[in-house]
Amino acid sequence: MSEEQLAADKAHLSKWEQHKFLLMIGFSVVIALFLVGVALALYANSGAAQLDLSRPGYQSVREQAVRNDMFDSFPSTGDLDQQAIEQFRKLYDERAKQATSVDSFGGTVMSDEALSISAPSQ
Amino acid sequence: MKRISGFLLVGVTVTLGLIAVPAYAESTPMTEAHIERIRDNCVDAQSVLTQLHASDALLRVNRGQLYESISTKLMAPFNSRVALNKYDGSKLIEQSATYERQLDDFRSSYKSYDEAMTKALKINCVNEPVAFYDSVADARTKRQAVHQSTLALQETLQNYKDQFETFAGTIRGKKQ
Repeated sequence: MSEEQLAADKAHLSKWEQHKFLLMIGFSVVIALFLVGVALALYANSGAAQLDLSRPGYQSVREQAVRNDMFDSFPSTGDLDQQAIEQFRKLYDERAKQATSVDSFGGTVMSDEALSISAPSQ
Repeated sequence: MKRISGFLLVGVTVTLGLIAVPAYAESTPMTEAHIERIRDNCVDAQSVLTQLHASDALLRVNRGQLYESISTKLMAPFNSRVALNKYDGSKLIEQSATYERQLDDFRSSYKSYDEAMTKALKINCVNEPVAFYDSVADARTKRQAVHQSTLALQETLQNYKDQFETFAGTIRGKKQ
């Protein structure tokens, strides 16, 4: 196909048809931006952001996160005999002790006095 | 003309009146000395809060995993085993449902607290000391709500344990 033929063919194409490739790239970028926006909204609103210790500012505590697979689970099938009851009691007591041993989110660490922003005494 | 001047006068008076209202924090008037104290110490306070925010995030992850594992790896399998063995585990299921609800409360209250804390840390406290003080107060209230939700979970853990012991006593009696 000669250059003249190509030029002649181009003349018959509409403006949209002449820029199909650029339009495809443009639409792809718009769709990608939209999907990233949806993903970020889900990340922020689902509560996943609060669990994400890879965010900047959490480097100091990241290593101290406990792996979830460290916990043993109680089998959901089988006879419910004295041995099973004892096994459950042992697992439950151990886990409940861990859950109740720390006073989480308590204390006066955020008080005005602790932050030195309380009203000055007269 | 006189009417327009009158409206303008009223408008200017109202605007000046609004500007002249003293700074308020949590509906309590704040003294200049207090505002100055916040301005002087707020950078250090924000530094403390940043560290607290990071350690609370770690606590949320570790506590959350622990609370969730109790529900999914202990309570749910035990309830299911009770049902499979054709025992009445309705009281245990009731406690598990309460626990799940409280776990949802814990998640949502922590999310609110995290958002409040992030807001407080973003404020330019030297320029906006009153807004910073109010944000800290808001974050503190929401942190207290998270604390309450952990207490509720701990109470339900104990209730489930009590129900479990009652149940264990019942089946021991049946098998003898």
